[in-house]
Amino acid sequence: MLSRLVLVSGHILKNSGSFGACLVQASRSFHQSSQSRAPVPPLPEKGGKVRHGIFPEELFTLLYPKTGVTGPYMLGTGLLLYMLSKEIYVINHETFAAASIGVVIIYGVKKFGPSVAAFSGIVSADKFDVAQEVKDQAMASLAQGIEDEKKEQWRVEGRCMLFDAKRNNVAMLLETNYRERLHMVTNEVKKRLDYQVELQNLHRRMEQEHMVNWVEQSVIKSITPQQVQGIWSLH
Amino acid sequence: MIVSFFDQFASPVFLGIPLIAIAIALPWMLYPTPSSRWVNNRLITTQEWLINRFTNQLMLPLNMGGHKWALLLTSLMIFLITTNMLGLLPYTFTPTTQLSLNLGFAVPLWLATVIIGMRNQPTVALGHLLPEGTPIMLIPVLIVIETISLFMRPLALGVRLTANLTAGHLLIQLIATAVFVLLPMMPVVAILTAALLFMLTLLEVAVAMIQAYVFVLLLSLYLQENV
Repeated sequence: MLSRLVLVSGHILKNSGSFGACLVQASRSFHQSSQSRAPVPPLPEKGGKVRHGIFPEELFTLLYPKTGVTGPYMLGTGLLLYMLSKEIYVINHETFAAASIGVVIIYGVKKFGPSVAAFSGIVSADKFDVAQEVKDQAMASLAQGIEDEKKEQWRVEGRCMLFDAKRNNVAMLLETNYRERLHMVTNEVKKRLDYQVELQNLHRRMEQEHMVNWVEQSVIKSITPQQVQGIWSLH
Repeated sequence: MIVSFFDQFASPVFLGIPLIAIAIALPWMLYPTPSSRWVNNRLITTQEWLINRFTNQLMLPLNMGGHKWALLLTSLMIFLITTNMLGLLPYTFTPTTQLSLNLGFAVPLWLATVIIGMRNQPTVALGHLLPEGTPIMLIPVLIVIETISLFMRPLALGVRLTANLTAGHLLIQLIATAVFVLLPMMPVVAILTAALLFMLTLLEVAVAMIQAYVFVLLLSLYLQENV
């Protein structure tokens, strides 16, 4: 609450011109200017260009307009000869020691320089690779997540078909069950009716037999002796 | 004024200003500070990789208490290697040829290891005075010998570095003088001597690096005993 008060008063003081100028410094917050949030300038790809390992290229471009291509070399030779002839630089035992160590240094730089530079490139490339792998893995897992989500959505669409199939299945089961029971009922009823039909047939047959027997019996009984004589005389 | 070969080892003073301060501060001026960027330029990348590898290797045999010394030992190593290698250039002064500097490094650091050992684990530290498996008759003698050897350590550390570098520089000067003197009289001999000088320079490069490494390695060994 008090901070809001400070900010508001700071804003008012900033706008109130010269009177508020010295008070503004006291109420300004730190590290909010655009300079501290500015993007860091990129590193140059390679170091400054040099000729013969030590002389910067800028020296040659500086001398070129006045002395041409051979200018810096003339300057170097002249300087060296001047120092030698005037004995400003005296050749002594250190010169040979310098030549010796110079040969060692130049040989070392020429032989191992490119490989060391390439090695530092490899170290940086490894850092990039690790970060790139993290990024690739994250992207791959997100893409996989999208694929899985799409599959789930497709499955949801198929859910209706699944339910229809299940519904059909159940209906078919019910239908089959119903038909089975219908079939059973029909059979039972048919059996009962067949029984009754057979029973009636039996009755009729028994009646028929009984009738036939009775007719035979009565015919046999009614055969008089004169009929028997008559049949015998025919033969 | 008699010019001798030992003048190169005199501490340089110019108009009353001791230049040894600049000579000692030179290694610090030569190495770039790693910035807070994620990926740096080639120089800083190589430097970082080297320092990390070296510290890793040095701290391998040490336990956690010894890891506190990582910064000290690595910066000591870088200082010694740089001063030794810079001393091989002509007309330079090598601070590590001065016994005062080397003893100034060796004695306090050795004493620190001894005091740490005596304070934290006095029994173990005193136990180092008697190697395992010594015959009983030799025990008193051996303890005296080991104590003397313990007190010799800082002197040995300092004098080893001083003597190696001084001898190397002196030899280079002598053989270069021989080449210089022989060149007008017997050029062939001078050329052979120059070949000798070249090989000696190679040796001195190796010695410069190895002596710095040995100094730091021995300190880490003394630390390993006591921490």
